[in-house]
Amino acid sequence: MGIFSEAVEVERSPSGELVRLIWRGVSYSIAPHPLCWYERRRWWELETRVPPGEGVGVVDTQMWRFQLHREGIPDGLTLDVARYRPADRWRVIKIHEAVEDIFKEVLGGA
Amino acid sequence: MRNFVHLHSSSAYSAHFGVSWPEDLAAAASVDGDALAITDRDGLYGAVKHVKACRAAGIDPIIGVDLAVLEEGPHGLYASGRVVVLAHGGAAVAPGTGYAALCRLISLAHAGSATVGVTLEQMAAGVLDPISGTPALTVLLGPMSPVGRAMGGNQQYLLPRRKFRTWHRAMPAGSLVVELVNHQSSQGTAMSMPYAVRLLKLAQEFEVPAILSNAARYAKEGNAPTADVLDAARNIASLGKIEELQTSAQAWIKGASAMHALAQEIVFYAGDGDAEVKQLWANTARLADKCRLDPVADLGWKKASTPEAAVLGLTQPAQLELRQRTEAGLIRRYAGVSHGKLRDIRTRLETELATIGKLGFESYFLTVAEVSEMIRTMGVRRAARGSGASSLVNYLLGISAVDPIANGLLFERFLSDNRSTLPDIDLDVESAQRHAVYRRIFERFGDQRVTLMSMQNSYRARGAVRDAGLALGMDKGEIDQIAKQLWRFSASSFREALAEKPELRDLAAQLQHSRLAQERGEGAHEGREGQQLDLLVDLTERLDSLPRHISMHPCGVILGDSSLLNRTPVQPSGMGLPMSQFDKHDMDAMGMLKLDVLGVRMQSAMAYAVREVIRLHPSKQEVIAQGGHAENAPYINDAGGIDLDAVPLDDEPTFELIRSTHTLGCFQIESPGQRELVGKMAPTEFSDLVVDISLFRPGPMQSNMVTPYLESRAGFARPHYAHPDLVPVLEETHGVTVFHEQILHTFSTLTGCTLSRADEFRRGLGDPAVEPAVEQYFREHAAVKGYSAAVIEEVWETVKAFGSFGFCKAHGAAFAVPTYQSAWLKAHHPAEFLAGLWEHDPGMYPRRLLVAEARRLGIPILPLDINLSTGEYRAERTLSMEGGTAPQAVTGIRLSLAGVYGLSGTELKRILAGQPYDSLADLRDRAKLSRPTLKRLAQLGALDSLHRQAQHLTGNTANRSDLVAHVNSLPAHRPGRRTAPLEGQLALPLGDVELGTLAAHHVDLSPAETVRTELDLLSLDVSAHLMDSYAPLLKTLGVSYAEELLGLRNHSEVFVAGVRIATQTPPMRGGKRVVFISIDDGTGCVDASFFSEAQEKSGPLLFGTRMLLIKGLTRRTGPRGITVQALQAWDLHDTASLPRGAVLEGAATNGYHQRGSQQPPYVA
Repeated sequence: MGIFSEAVEVERSPSGELVRLIWRGVSYSIAPHPLCWYERRRWWELETRVPPGEGVGVVDTQMWRFQLHREGIPDGLTLDVARYRPADRWRVIKIHEAVEDIFKEVLGGA
Repeated sequence: MRNFVHLHSSSAYSAHFGVSWPEDLAAAASVDGDALAITDRDGLYGAVKHVKACRAAGIDPIIGVDLAVLEEGPHGLYASGRVVVLAHGGAAVAPGTGYAALCRLISLAHAGSATVGVTLEQMAAGVLDPISGTPALTVLLGPMSPVGRAMGGNQQYLLPRRKFRTWHRAMPAGSLVVELVNHQSSQGTAMSMPYAVRLLKLAQEFEVPAILSNAARYAKEGNAPTADVLDAARNIASLGKIEELQTSAQAWIKGASAMHALAQEIVFYAGDGDAEVKQLWANTARLADKCRLDPVADLGWKKASTPEAAVLGLTQPAQLELRQRTEAGLIRRYAGVSHGKLRDIRTRLETELATIGKLGFESYFLTVAEVSEMIRTMGVRRAARGSGASSLVNYLLGISAVDPIANGLLFERFLSDNRSTLPDIDLDVESAQRHAVYRRIFERFGDQRVTLMSMQNSYRARGAVRDAGLALGMDKGEIDQIAKQLWRFSASSFREALAEKPELRDLAAQLQHSRLAQERGEGAHEGREGQQLDLLVDLTERLDSLPRHISMHPCGVILGDSSLLNRTPVQPSGMGLPMSQFDKHDMDAMGMLKLDVLGVRMQSAMAYAVREVIRLHPSKQEVIAQGGHAENAPYINDAGGIDLDAVPLDDEPTFELIRSTHTLGCFQIESPGQRELVGKMAPTEFSDLVVDISLFRPGPMQSNMVTPYLESRAGFARPHYAHPDLVPVLEETHGVTVFHEQILHTFSTLTGCTLSRADEFRRGLGDPAVEPAVEQYFREHAAVKGYSAAVIEEVWETVKAFGSFGFCKAHGAAFAVPTYQSAWLKAHHPAEFLAGLWEHDPGMYPRRLLVAEARRLGIPILPLDINLSTGEYRAERTLSMEGGTAPQAVTGIRLSLAGVYGLSGTELKRILAGQPYDSLADLRDRAKLSRPTLKRLAQLGALDSLHRQAQHLTGNTANRSDLVAHVNSLPAHRPGRRTAPLEGQLALPLGDVELGTLAAHHVDLSPAETVRTELDLLSLDVSAHLMDSYAPLLKTLGVSYAEELLGLRNHSEVFVAGVRIATQTPPMRGGKRVVFISIDDGTGCVDASFFSEAQEKSGPLLFGTRMLLIKGLTRRTGPRGITVQALQAWDLHDTASLPRGAVLEGAATNGYHQRGSQQPPYVA
């Protein structure tokens, strides 16, 4: 993960699926079954308050790996995007070079 | 919406693991599901609460456990993982079978000596119903199981597969499922999606059904930080250092669509399609259906069970037996009563028997009678306590010693047709005999029918701030400082308390300071610390009241029939006997008969005192002479034994003692507040004590009932009655409503309802859901009976203020008995009574305060002596030189060797076995004491008698310091027989050459040094008072002593000083906090009350400081009582801060340190 990150916008279908992503002014379609996982945070070093009753997005950060396609362009693009809650802001964390590695990485070479 | 049932969820009752209460879990689950399983760690700690919560949420309860699995390792059995085990409901097996199998399996897991858990073999056997041979339980093999955990190792495919095959072969067909959990954690962790995929593959390969769960630890996602803190507390390490932190914050009760998405993700990455998702979903629903429990059929909900008739030795129906025994009791207890009166009593008995019969509780009463009689035949003192004293049946069966007729106690307060819950009958026994009594109950009823009850120990402010600080990695010393200032408020109101409580002012300022520094951007480090304090407060509030562990309840014993262990899991208690995993809140729901057998130290102290009296005065005549009793007192037997329960309740010297307010050590009336009250009230008869005890409660204090009562009693004011009809009801308490019984009569008089109905109304008071209906009934029916609006209004206000707080008169009467008995002993046999207090330590004050009380009473404290002291504090006849005239024979108290710091039990036994000793060498040879012990005995003067005896022969002048130096220089004791004299060889009677020739080198200890040694090694200042060395300082400050206060005018401004002996924050009128601090200055005890302003001025000194200087105004509380209303307090050690700048040059700072046990006792 880099230190610098860029904001992106994400759109959902009426049924809630993530369908489009807008990055650097360009609109991409999101391939079905995007991978979602959570990264732990060292919140006790980062937060000033964790009052009872609140705490979503304190312990972990929601991460998404999107396979993106631009209309009319055959080659896809893979982005890791973090969704910060409770504010619901999306930021690009990592740009992948090739799509094929991903399954291997995720399933530990299964 | 789709239905999803969570089959794996831990409640807060999984100590240091689960976060949410069963109600919160059930509420969350009921949104998208029609059932919920509770699976607490290694027990059913939250199961009954779960069932209640599910019923309230309208969903079906499922009960299971998250159980450790044991495997054989290089160092014996170890926990290799955890699995969920669910009980099958009546739809799958005979009702109750699954739940019973679950209880037994959990008990088995706790039965081993070392690690909690079951082996695979035990699990395979335990899941089967022994009768039908079919599975009664289902085991869920998930990511935390030995199979799931093997996936992280080097052989990440082979090892899990091998382990799975082992499980698959061992477990009976149909008892195993695979549990998939997808917390979407990052790769390589147990709860990650790829692990779930691999478990799904294994399930498919072995054709075992897979189900989906979310292994929930909390109801909502936002609870996750609390789970982190609990992980830290469980591992006793800071968050930054532990590896066992949850891998994400996704362990919550997710909705059905979220769960469905998780299932889809697993199946998609496993390369399967929608059919597999449907299968997974259906499997989960099917297992949920199999495990739905019917509380009545499966758990025996609210069905009372008692030991079988045969166990009670009954040869006829319980109903008949109870009638016969109470009839016999009637003749015994009321032998001389007039015919008409007896007819009334008989009517009362019939009413009670009818109610008991209607509820089917006959065998309950017979069981309690059996236990009570068993204790009596053990020769152990016992007394019934609480509302049980209201019952004539209890009195006739010998369970209670209080006559309910003579004391006007109402059966309806104890039991009524309208209430089907098992009543409480409490028995007080000698604390020292409590465990023996428990063991006897187990023997008598059989261990399949008896278990101890447990209790949940929960986080309160101090524990919570310690664990929150630990999690944040804060400095331990700093946390301790903060924890010490937290005083009796719940952790959940920490932030509120910071703003309000004077003792937290420093902490609040620190917080504010670092927050500001951070805003200004000063020093990153300092800023971080400020944030930590803020986080500390938040995390402390989050931990509030979460259960920490269970322990044996101080008095609850559960008695049932032979099926008891199929209804509750048990685990070993601290004392070894099994205890139930259920607490008192679960008893009623489970229909369990709980008997409170409470160990009361005062009962032990009184029994001890009576034994000491008889030991020193072994005949009736001697006891009568020594105690100043009436000739031929019938309560003293020929051997000098006193039957305390037979002592008449009108003894004048006893009431004189109570009125003097010198009630230190007397049951219930020794606290500062109570001493003030008895001083004002000046009791003259037993019923006054009943009123006194009942008045000193939150309800009466808060609704200001004390002053009108005292004024009417003293004749300063006329008693006020809202209506003449209430005169008979309230006459005994001068128009003031004190007892529950009076509320019942008031209700009944004004509305015409029955007393049992009135008790139902009383229970509704203070409950916002019920009280309006009660009020309406009261107003309507009282109006119908013709009472005026003004009368109705006034009476309702009294009743409403009384709320549910007041006191049951039966409680007061039962308490007043030991109160009277202890005061009687103190009045007639003070030395033996104090010896009993010393030995059993029943009171709220430290033992060292009793030294002052003994001094005041002229009872000599006899020093430790290697030949005269034993392992007990004994009364001893001695000569007193007090008064300057001829020596007088008095009874003193000999200090006990058991009180010496660091003296081991085996050393004590050897000393006692070898007594008496004729020389130091003799003591060394035969008692074989360690050098530190010998040195301590020398320091405390226990060897002085040997020393003096030797010096008498030689004229040697060495002092105690020389003796200590000598003992310290001796070689350490070497065990072995080499130096032992040959058997049969007699030592020459040469006297103690060793002690007779000690070199006199050292300066003798100063009195202050001696006191310090005594405090360090004995926790007592015996030779002088620890305040004595402060005398010069106190003189400069112009301090008044306790004994002088009574001679001062009311409202005089005084300084008092002393060592803190007790701190109390009793409930007060208007809900404002008052802090009572009692200090001891060597001449007596000063009680100082701190109201808001004084608390404000004293700040952190209120609770943390041991040696106090207090400025205040004297306040007369009665003819013999005086207290100080504090204005401000100072730390006596902080000489620079003391007022008037008058500090003596070189004043003693007395910097000795206290060990933990010597901290002032913080008593409720």
